[in-house]
Amino acid sequence: MDDLLVQSVLVQWRVNGKLHEIEAMPGMSLLDAVREQLGLTGTHMGCQTGHCGACTVMLDGRIVKSCLTQAATLPRAEIVTIEGLKRADGTLNPVQQAFWDEAGFQCGYCAPGMLLSAMELLAEHPEPTDAQIDTGLAGNLCRCTGYRSLVRAVKAAARKLQDTSGQTPG
Amino acid sequence: MADHSTTDDTRYVGQAVRTIEGRAPIVGAARYTNDFVFPGQLYAHIVRSPHAAARIRRIDSSGALKVSGVVRVLDGAEAAAHLKPITHYIDPAVFGGKSAEVRVMAVDDVWCYGQPVAVVVAEDKRTARFAAQRIQIVYDVLEPVLDAEAATAPDAHIVVPGWDSNIMMQAPFRNGDPDAAFAKAAHVVKTSVDIHRFSTQPIETRCYNAVWEHDIEGVTLYATAQNPHPLRHVLSEVLGMPESKIRVHAPVIGGAFGMKMHGHPEEALMCLLAKLTGRPVKWTETREECLLIGAREQRHHMELALDADGVILGLRDRYFANVGAPSACPGWGMAFLTGLTMPGPYAVRDIDVQMTVVITNKPSWNAARGYGKESTALALELAIEDAARQLGMDAAEIRLKNFIRAEQFPYNSPTGLIYDSGDYSGAVLKAMHAIGYEGWKARQAEGPKDGKYIGIGVAFELTPEGGALPGTMVAGYDSSSVRVAPDGSVRILTGVTTPGTGNPTGIAQIVADELGVTMDAIEVTQGDTTTCPYGFGNYSGRSTIVGGGSAALAAQQVRAKVVTVAAALFDVPEADVELHRGVFSVKGQQGRTLTFKEVCYAAYTGAYSVAHGITLPLEATATFKPSNIRHTPDENGRINPYPSYSNAAYVTVCEVDVETGKTKVLAFAAAHDCGRVINPVLVEGQACGAISFGVGGAMFEAIAFDSSGRQLTRSFMDYVMPRSEDLPAVKMVHHDSPNPVTYMGLKGAGEAGVGGSAAAVVNAINNALIPLGVSLNTLPLSAPNVWGAIQAARKRGQREAAE
Ligand code: FES
Ligand code: FES
Repeated sequence: MDDLLVQSVLVQWRVNGKLHEIEAMPGMSLLDAVREQLGLTGTHMGCQTGHCGACTVMLDGRIVKSCLTQAATLPRAEIVTIEGLKRADGTLNPVQQAFWDEAGFQCGYCAPGMLLSAMELLAEHPEPTDAQIDTGLAGNLCRCTGYRSLVRAVKAAARKLQDTSGQTPG
Repeated sequence: MADHSTTDDTRYVGQAVRTIEGRAPIVGAARYTNDFVFPGQLYAHIVRSPHAAARIRRIDSSGALKVSGVVRVLDGAEAAAHLKPITHYIDPAVFGGKSAEVRVMAVDDVWCYGQPVAVVVAEDKRTARFAAQRIQIVYDVLEPVLDAEAATAPDAHIVVPGWDSNIMMQAPFRNGDPDAAFAKAAHVVKTSVDIHRFSTQPIETRCYNAVWEHDIEGVTLYATAQNPHPLRHVLSEVLGMPESKIRVHAPVIGGAFGMKMHGHPEEALMCLLAKLTGRPVKWTETREECLLIGAREQRHHMELALDADGVILGLRDRYFANVGAPSACPGWGMAFLTGLTMPGPYAVRDIDVQMTVVITNKPSWNAARGYGKESTALALELAIEDAARQLGMDAAEIRLKNFIRAEQFPYNSPTGLIYDSGDYSGAVLKAMHAIGYEGWKARQAEGPKDGKYIGIGVAFELTPEGGALPGTMVAGYDSSSVRVAPDGSVRILTGVTTPGTGNPTGIAQIVADELGVTMDAIEVTQGDTTTCPYGFGNYSGRSTIVGGGSAALAAQQVRAKVVTVAAALFDVPEADVELHRGVFSVKGQQGRTLTFKEVCYAAYTGAYSVAHGITLPLEATATFKPSNIRHTPDENGRINPYPSYSNAAYVTVCEVDVETGKTKVLAFAAAHDCGRVINPVLVEGQACGAISFGVGGAMFEAIAFDSSGRQLTRSFMDYVMPRSEDLPAVKMVHHDSPNPVTYMGLKGAGEAGVGGSAAAVVNAINNALIPLGVSLNTLPLSAPNVWGAIQAARKRGQREAAE
């Protein structure tokens, strides 16, 4: 079985605030680890080549494409997935709320990745221009919306965050 | 943003209500098919042919079977021993074509690159993939046919053994006296339009997870399926099992656009593997596999006969559709619809359109948003643009001169369709106004700046929706149930499904108004053959027309029941009972109210008193069947398969950098007629989504092959879809004329826009290139193609200058 007989690696991750220890096989992507080992299926597979962004998660404070990230190369990591975005009281964070209110998405398959990209974008540019939004979402494909509603949602999220200023996204 | 004109805020219909299904995805709680894992779950990996045309000489699976963790290996011949050929979604034979026997995996002959040849089932997907490499297959490789016209040559390789040619179907769409029209024409304009292969590529790929139900010896298929009930029927035929033992469960779908209509080999194959192993078997499509599904590839040879003033007298078109290898999916039907919907919005009576649907060694088509009507729009709009250019007319003017006029509806088209309503000229004028047509023309007249040329494109698209094809599972009607529980909560079950378009919310809005409850009292269930009424699912922009229409009828019936009970409780005549947003009151008597819940509980518990006069439970099932679909052929053998004719006008401004061939959409306006609007935000979302398909198709997306028929387009690196920065803001205006026969005048909003917006972009780019003498009707107009055409024109110019 050649390549299947290789040793797995024990990794320790804090995922959405909870500590996990998992056996990461070499070659296993962070996407598979999150979905299959941890059962967090809100992170989606769309291409496995880094082009669609459906698999976006936050790794040590930065967004990454989890399909291109090897699980075994992360002995310790802080990971946030879509399941970890709600506020402590269970309500939606302002970016989530804006995505829903503004019908930012349709089928919702791209939405988790879009949300995480939007949150990083808004952390860097609290009042983003159209061009900054385009750049911020450049790693994420959406096939349903034609993006206009997503741009509208990001702007609404920016306004909400300003209103509740002092709060960071998430 | 559109003018979100709503009038009556006592109704949900017409308002931009937030989607009821929208919360789950943003908290990661929506469960798509791939999210289901069952105890004992197995995973399948499919081995596909690396050749476009071949004979399979030998398959040796022994190497794979030795891999620990492998549970089962199956090749095409073994599968064929267990399964019948896949039932065609739309059998070409019903329409006078040839129908091939399509098996789930190749038996002896390989028809196309990527065709399934063998499958491995293992404890995990990695093992399955690894073991698949250990299957040894010996092929005799044959010379493939890849081009549709070349495939009709007498000596071409025949794709399906036993066929006399590769032509699957030929059909004329003829009316009047086209020869006379051409004889008296002042101008004849000939335009060849090459529409490339591009497809829908939802971000969620396909996935099937088959679970063997040991108790009933049946199967449950969790599937990315747009049409669960008709799929169940196909599975019952292929598996040889009654429909009652099969359950198709289509959970939340991550976009479909036609691609998740069935006929795919993996559907029945997973069911068979579950049966053979007695365990759940799942297959998740990779993007590379998803890109194998083609659509739309057509070549049109158009001729327009025009009088001196630019009035179109006649139209001829010889078109060839390259539908690839035979498939049981409904993709090929797109080619038929292209001819049937000629000559679109134009009042041309004398037409001679000849369709040739050709089988080749490319992978098969499946349905794609627009369903062939996008190709009609592309062929017509590019040809008319050519005519305008040759006659020196304005692009808008030539169209306004030739449209069917608003007072001509209902209009009998020369192919037998009955267009319900519309105001095409009005829509074009609105779109021109929205974009500032004259202003852009003035800017264009100033000439190019820094090598950047500006062009303006106009296009129109007629998109019949809600289609019904006789003798097929493409039905025009559908059903819904409305069930009210003793606590007053409401569940709607519909036969239509949603691929993520928001129709559950639209349907809930309709039911909330018709029943008289608040939106938050309602849940919608779709996509489960065991719980939902028999239905046909999602296609052809039908879900709100027939799903909403039938739910409205069912809600009215339930409302009548609860009103009867309330009247008894109030002890007043029924006519005096009012019900609005969950509160009953008595006309003219302030303060006498009952809650919806109180009345519902009274109904369930008062069968021999207050509810004596009604049939319990508080449930009803109703069907909506549009009255204007006509399947009885008229004297010319023609039918009208559509109840509803959405339409839209598109005007775009594009900029071309002549040094690089790079194009950019600067402005975009659309005037859309989708009848009555249930939820303006959802309708606009649909329109913008379709526009992005059109822009992407016109400018980037293409599926390419090498000369041996191997597909070169294998990832999103090669298949370039629009990103946020590629799409302009869209100025959307509504120009709605309600459909006189559907519920509330609905027309359907999901399909329109692909061809019209693509044509507008192509026309704008060609318009920009007029000064350079370039006219490019071979799509897509990607930067390399545009650059190449500019270079060719320059060389031509230099040659001519030298001569
Ligand atoms: S799945 Fe990771 S980018 Fe597409
Ligand atoms: S909402 Fe469907 S892919 Fe973005």
